[in-house]
Amino acid sequence: MSDGMTRRDALVKASRAGVLLALGSTAGFLVRKADGQVVWQVDTSKCVNSRLGEAGTPICSLCTTECVVSQSAVRAVNHFAKCGRCYICPAYYNIRSAVDEKGLPSEKLCPRDAIVRKPIGFVDPEDPANNFYEYTIVEEKCDGCGICVKNCMEPLGLGSIVLKVRYDLCVDCNRCAISTACPKDAVVRQQLPDALAVTWPESR
Amino acid sequence: MTWRGQTRHARALLLALLCLVVLWPDRALAQQVQYERPVDVAPQQQAIGGGYVTPDVQKPRPRQYWLQLLDVFLLASAMGLGVWLVVRRRSRPLALALTIGSLAYFGFYRQGCICPIGSIQNVAVALTDPGYAIPIVVTAVFFLPLVVAVFFGRVFCGGVCPLGAIQELVVLKPVQVPRRLDNALGLLKYVYLGAAILLAVQPAISRDFVICRFDPFVGFFRREGFAHMMAIGSGFLVLGMFVGRPYCRYLCPYGALLAWCSRLATRGVTITPDRELDCGLCANACPYGAIEKNRAVRKECLYCARCYAACPCETSVGAAV
Repeated sequence: MSDGMTRRDALVKASRAGVLLALGSTAGFLVRKADGQVVWQVDTSKCVNSRLGEAGTPICSLCTTECVVSQSAVRAVNHFAKCGRCYICPAYYNIRSAVDEKGLPSEKLCPRDAIVRKPIGFVDPEDPANNFYEYTIVEEKCDGCGICVKNCMEPLGLGSIVLKVRYDLCVDCNRCAISTACPKDAVVRQQLPDALAVTWPESR
Repeated sequence: MTWRGQTRHARALLLALLCLVVLWPDRALAQQVQYERPVDVAPQQQAIGGGYVTPDVQKPRPRQYWLQLLDVFLLASAMGLGVWLVVRRRSRPLALALTIGSLAYFGFYRQGCICPIGSIQNVAVALTDPGYAIPIVVTAVFFLPLVVAVFFGRVFCGGVCPLGAIQELVVLKPVQVPRRLDNALGLLKYVYLGAAILLAVQPAISRDFVICRFDPFVGFFRREGFAHMMAIGSGFLVLGMFVGRPYCRYLCPYGALLAWCSRLATRGVTITPDRELDCGLCANACPYGAIEKNRAVRKECLYCARCYAACPCETSVGAAV
């Protein structure tokens, strides 16, 4: 009986060594192949809302509707260094709305009122049109619907607003729900430093 | 200051266009095309003047790398602690405390990600697709519980896995599932494992990660989710009141892998032969049908330590200590 037990023990030990070896070599293979931290990011050169030459297409709001978190982890970002600082910003104002008494369009474009407009530099109070303006998108309000992105795109604007992933909201789904829905496969896996880099579609 | 001149000129043009729109609303679309942007090049901070400094682009950073390593460390420590509390201390209350702690951290704080269950798919893809690699952290999270299972059984299921923990806490009045039905249902997880791998190793375009898509509890961890997944999750929790941990026993594909590895485990929850009374109280106390002929079955045992809590010998030993 004790003989049988030892034989069984030896068998268990041998198979355990085999399994550990298999697990170890598989893990080793994966570690050798491993890359750094990978995250989801919007490829702005593919996104229909920011891609040049996509002016006629309707605004795509899949980033807002498909994300698994209630306020989408994708939001619009204004790259200030590329922003035209316009007096009448086609992404801030609904440029097709009626003109009010101050000579500005009476409606704002953003459905969530997430864009803040403030004059910058030497402010001339007498002539508001002669000032530069900074347009900041409030992250807490923006849900990435893409309306401002589309309206800032050439030829209306300089294309300084694009959609980007907010990593404080993104839960890093194994298979991003937006990426499966995106018609242009614009939501991609990117290595970490590249994903944070400021790459905007080339605008004159 | 050519800038400002341009702006003024454009403003006049714009106003004219906007007036046109007001008077002639039908032409709204045509007007949009005619809108001319006032500038062709973005003004930089020196052109803006007034001491204006262009702010940085807003970009919240992903979770820091050392925090991810901390997750791996906590995973390993929790499993070590689980082994110690259940195999050595044989303590149900302490094991329960570990379960609650894991649910709080891995479940509600880390929101169920990163988890070894879902990483099955990533590992499968990384092994088959030369262009797909996974971070070292994911490799570690996938393999650590398997290695532990080879020695000690399904410690991960008992004290660490948040999906297991949330079901562990709702076990109310478990029925003993008939042995044959239990075995038959247990085969489902192997089918699910095979299907999940098969769907994951497709070419990138048609790849589908079903385990994550149909994760029943991640919606609770995130406190939001698709209605149908919340319904399925609630269904599992309600069922879990009467059938102990249905997802873990019958569906969890990682449970299938752990069950395979656990067959080699030599240590774990043990009904000690020289102290037992043959009373069968432990088998009655086990909600997972893991005690067969008064012996713990390694591949089914989920490390809850209820058998020790129900044992008259154990309690007297505990009192003596």
